Amino acid sequence: MADLLLELGSEELPASFLGPALDDLEKAFKAGCEAARLTHGPIARYGTPRRLALLVTQVADGTPDLQKEMNGPSVKAAFDAEGKPTQAATKFAAGHGLTVDQLVKVTTPKGEYLAARVQEKGKRALEILPAVLHATVHGINFKKSMRWGDVDLSYARPLHWIVALLGDEVVPVVFADVKSGRQTRGHRFLTKGPIDLARPGEYLAKLRAAKVEPDIAERKAQVKALVAKAAERAGGKLLEDEALVDQVTNLVELPCPVVGTFEARHLDLPPEVLIQEMKSHQRYFSVVGADGKLLPRFIAVSNTPVKDEAFSVKGYERVLRSRLSDGRFFFDEDRRLRLEERLPKLERVVWQGALGSYREKQVRMGALAKGLHAQLKSPAKLEHVLRAVELSKADLVTSMVGEFPELQGVMGREYARHDKEPEEVALAIAEHYLPRGASDGVPTRDEGALVGLAERFDTIAGIFGIGKGPSGAADPFALRRACLAVIRVTLERGYRYSLREQVSGALALLEPKLAAIKRKAGEPAVLDQVLDFFRGRLKALWSEAHRADVVEAVLTAGFDDLVAAHQRLTAISARVKQPEFEPLAATIKRVGNIVAKQAKDVARGAVDPSKLNDAAEKALAQAVAGAQGEVQGLLGKGAYAQALDRLTQLKPQVDAFFDQVMVMAEDKALRENRVRLLMQVSGLFETLADFSAISA
Amino acid sequence: MITFQELILRLQTHWAAQGCILAQPYDLEVGAGTMAPQTFLRALGPEPWNVAYVQPSRRPADGRFGENPNRLFQHHQFQVILKPAPKNVQQLYLESLEAVGVDPMAHDLRFVEDDWESPTLGAWGLGWEVWCDGMEVTQFTYFQQCGGFDCRPVSAELTYGLERLCMYLQGVESVYDIEWVKGVKYREVFHANEVEMSKYALHESNAEQLQQLFSSYEAECQRLLQRELPLPAYDYALKCSHTFNLLDARGAISVTERAAYIKRVRDNARLCAQGYLAMREKLGYPLCKTKWTVGEQPALLEGKPGSEYWKTQSFQPKEAKEKEAARG
Repeated sequence: MADLLLELGSEELPASFLGPALDDLEKAFKAGCEAARLTHGPIARYGTPRRLALLVTQVADGTPDLQKEMNGPSVKAAFDAEGKPTQAATKFAAGHGLTVDQLVKVTTPKGEYLAARVQEKGKRALEILPAVLHATVHGINFKKSMRWGDVDLSYARPLHWIVALLGDEVVPVVFADVKSGRQTRGHRFLTKGPIDLARPGEYLAKLRAAKVEPDIAERKAQVKALVAKAAERAGGKLLEDEALVDQVTNLVELPCPVVGTFEARHLDLPPEVLIQEMKSHQRYFSVVGADGKLLPRFIAVSNTPVKDEAFSVKGYERVLRSRLSDGRFFFDEDRRLRLEERLPKLERVVWQGALGSYREKQVRMGALAKGLHAQLKSPAKLEHVLRAVELSKADLVTSMVGEFPELQGVMGREYARHDKEPEEVALAIAEHYLPRGASDGVPTRDEGALVGLAERFDTIAGIFGIGKGPSGAADPFALRRACLAVIRVTLERGYRYSLREQVSGALALLEPKLAAIKRKAGEPAVLDQVLDFFRGRLKALWSEAHRADVVEAVLTAGFDDLVAAHQRLTAISARVKQPEFEPLAATIKRVGNIVAKQAKDVARGAVDPSKLNDAAEKALAQAVAGAQGEVQGLLGKGAYAQALDRLTQLKPQVDAFFDQVMVMAEDKALRENRVRLLMQVSGLFETLADFSAISA
Repeated sequence: MITFQELILRLQTHWAAQGCILAQPYDLEVGAGTMAPQTFLRALGPEPWNVAYVQPSRRPADGRFGENPNRLFQHHQFQVILKPAPKNVQQLYLESLEAVGVDPMAHDLRFVEDDWESPTLGAWGLGWEVWCDGMEVTQFTYFQQCGGFDCRPVSAELTYGLERLCMYLQGVESVYDIEWVKGVKYREVFHANEVEMSKYALHESNAEQLQQLFSSYEAECQRLLQRELPLPAYDYALKCSHTFNLLDARGAISVTERAAYIKRVRDNARLCAQGYLAMREKLGYPLCKTKWTVGEQPALLEGKPGSEYWKTQSFQPKEAKEKEAARG
C-alpha cells in the first residue's frame, strides 16, 4: 500500500470555485477507483488559490484477478432444432474470445442462458491510476472555464503543473499542455523555484515551509484567529462575518492581516453602507467598539507578509477613501430627490416582462395590503401601510442601490427618514424584505409585515400565472423562498386570514395581465397550483420538526388558516407521543372507514332521536350533542389541544357503541340514523386532522 | 519619483524588450483600448499578434467637469495584447510592475477573479483585476470570444489604468496632482479638456444630431461591409459606439431603447469581425508565416490546436455565399 498525491497547480482560481472543484475531484477519483476495483483509504482535500489537491491514503498495490460471468443469448435462442449453435451463440462466444463449447449454461429467473466466464487479470496500481487520474482531472466541472494558448481543453484558469505521485513514483497524466511530475510550487513571492516532492507524505510539511497553508480548514482557522486579534489591535472587536471569512480564506495562500483606518467623518453614513463598501469590493472586515458601533478601522487580509506594513496599509486606506467618497457622493446625490419623486421612474423599470413595471406591481400590492389590513384588524395606521407600499421600491432607482443591490430596503429606510416620512413607514420599507433567509427574523411591526405579504402574494400568484413556477431544481424567481417567508411571517406574527382568499385576490388583481396568457390543456387552475405549492412547502417545512404522517393528516384537514393549521399540528403532534393516542386513533379510523363506505348512500343530516333505541347509541348521541357545542367553542378559540382532549372523552361511548350496536341494521331508517350519528362523530374529528393518514 | 511619462516609457521599454510592437494610439474616439482595431480585430484569427500602446479612452458619462479627483471624461490606458498568451504571462506582467517600481515584497499583489464582458463588442473573457494593496491596478483578461467568434489561439489582454497607477506611485490623492514631467502637472495638461468635454457631453451635445449621426454611421458601416472593406467599416462601427456613449451621457436614451442601441452596435461589430477574418483568410494569414511570439509558449500535448479551428470556419458574407450557390 502507498499514498497518492494529486495536485493541480494553476493561475489564481476564483475563491468560490475551490469547494465545488474539490468535490468534483474527489467524486471522480472515487468513481474511477471503484470502476477499476482499486481500493484506497481516507482522502484528504487541499486547496489554495493556486492549487487543488487530493491526498489519498492506503492505495492498494493493485487489484486481484476477477472471475466475471457475462450472460449471452438464452439457450433456446442459442441452438437450432438440430442442436447446432446459432449465429447468436457463435457471435457471443467470439466476442469474448471463446468458442461455444467453452460457454456455460446458467439458470436465471428468466430461464436458462448461455454465459461466458472470463478471467479478468488483476493490475498493478501504477497501471490503473493513469486512466483514473486522467478521468479525475477531466471530471471537474467549473462554473466557468476557459481555454488558453492554442489548445481546446478548458480549466478555470490556465493550468501550470500536475503533481501525481504514488509512493515515490510519478503517475503519468496529461492535461492540455501540462505533464505530471513531482514538482510543486510554494508561495508566489516568498519562495523561488519549484519544490521537489519525494513522496506524498512530504506534501504538507514542504508546502508549509514554502509559506503556503494548503489545508482550507486550517487556513480558515488562522484567518479567524488573526483577524480577531487584529481587531483587538485596532481597539475594538471584529464584526463577525462567516461568509467573508470563507471568501478571504480562499483568496490567500498565507493570511497576513493588516489594520487600517478611515476618516471618522464617514461614520455618519449608514453603517450598512460602510460595511458593504468595505466588504463587497475590498473584502475588508469591519471593527466595532464595545457599544457595537462601527469604529473607523478595518482589517484587510494580505497574501504577503510585506516588509513594511505601515507603507503597504496606505494603499488599502487610499482605495477605501475613494470608495467612501463615492459612497458619500451617492448618499448625498440620492437625498437630493425625495423618494416619492422617484416614483415616475419606477414606471419604466420592468419587474417581469409579462407582468409589467414595478409601479404596476406596487398598485396591486397596495390593494392587497389594504385587504389584509382590514382582515387582520391591524392596529397599524392604514395610511402608513399604503405609504410604505408606495415607497417600498423607490430605492431601486437610487445610485446607492444601483451600486450595492444588497442595500435595497436599507437605503429606502434611510432616505425615507431623511424625507421625514413617518418612522413606521421608513421601518416598513426596510422590513418588508424580511425574512431574506433562514437566519433572518420577521418584521417587527405590522406595516412591514403587510407590505411584505402583499408583495409576495403578488409575486407568487403572478409568476405561477405566467407559467414560470418552480419545477425541479429550477426556481428562477425564488418562489420557494417567498413562500417560506409568507409562512413564517404569518405564523410568527399570528395572522389569521384565508390563504385561498388572498391568493384569489392577488390573481384577480393580476387578471388584466394574465388574461392573455395561454394555458396548457388540462392544466390545473392557477389558484389550485399555488395552493398546492403552499401545501408542498408547508409539508417540507413542518416535517422537519414533526412526524410527516401527522403533518399530512393536518394538511388534509385544511391549511387555509395557516395559524390554525399549525396549532392543530402542535396539538396533535404532542398527543401522538402519548400511549393513549393509538387506541383513540384506531377508534377514529374505524368510524372514518364506515362513514367513507356509506358516504355515497347516506346523506349527512341530523340524527333522529326517536329512532335511537339502544342504550349505547342513546348514550353516544347524548355525548356527541354535549361535546359539539363545547368543541366548537374550543376550536373557535383556537384551543386545539383542549378540543382534542374533549373529543377523546367520546372514546368510551364510541367503543361501547361499536360493541353493542349493529350499525348495518336491516331497517333502512335505523341504519341511516346510526351512520348519521357516526358522521357527526367523524365530522368533529375531521376539523382537526385526517386521522386515517396517521400510521399506528 | 516616477513621472507620468516615465511610467509610460518604462512600460513601453519592458514590453518592447519582450518582443511587442509599440503601436501608437488609435486616432478615433474609443471607450477603451480593447476597442482599437489593434486589439478587437487582431485578437481574431490564427495569426500571432503582440502589441503595446497607450490609448486615450473617452467615457462621456464619467465626465465630472474636472471636479472629481478620480473620474475623468478621458483617461489613458496602457494596453498590451499577447497572442498567443505566453505561458509565463503573469510573470512577465509582474516584472512590468517591478519595472515601474512596485516591489512585490513590499506590497500585497493579488490576482482577484474578474470576468470581463463587452456587450457592445460581443466579446468576453476570464481573468482578474490585479490588486496592489487592495487597489485595482490592471485588468487582466484571457479573451475567449470577440465579435461572437472564438478566440483561437487565446490572447492575453493587460490593461493598466495609467492615471490610477501613477497616482498610487506618486502618492497623490487627485489625478490633477500627477506630475506629468518634472514641474508640469496633469492639471495643466488636461484640466481644461475635462471641463470643456464634460460640458459638451453632459450639457451641450445635440441629441437630435447625434441620433442622425448614429444612423448614418451605422448605414455607412454596413455599406462598407458590403463593399468588403472591413477596416473602414470598423471605423464607422467605432463612431457608432462613441455616438451612443454621447447620447447615453446626455440621458437621451431610455432604458428600453438602450438595449436596442447596444444590439445595433454589436451587430455591426460582429459583421466587421467576420469581414476582417474573411480578409485575413484571403491574404493567407500572412503573420502566421512569421515565428513571432513573446515569452514561453506552451507545448501541445493534449487537445487539438486551436488554429485548426479557423480551417473549419467560413467568413463569407451571406450574399456572396448565395451567389456562389447560384453559380455552382
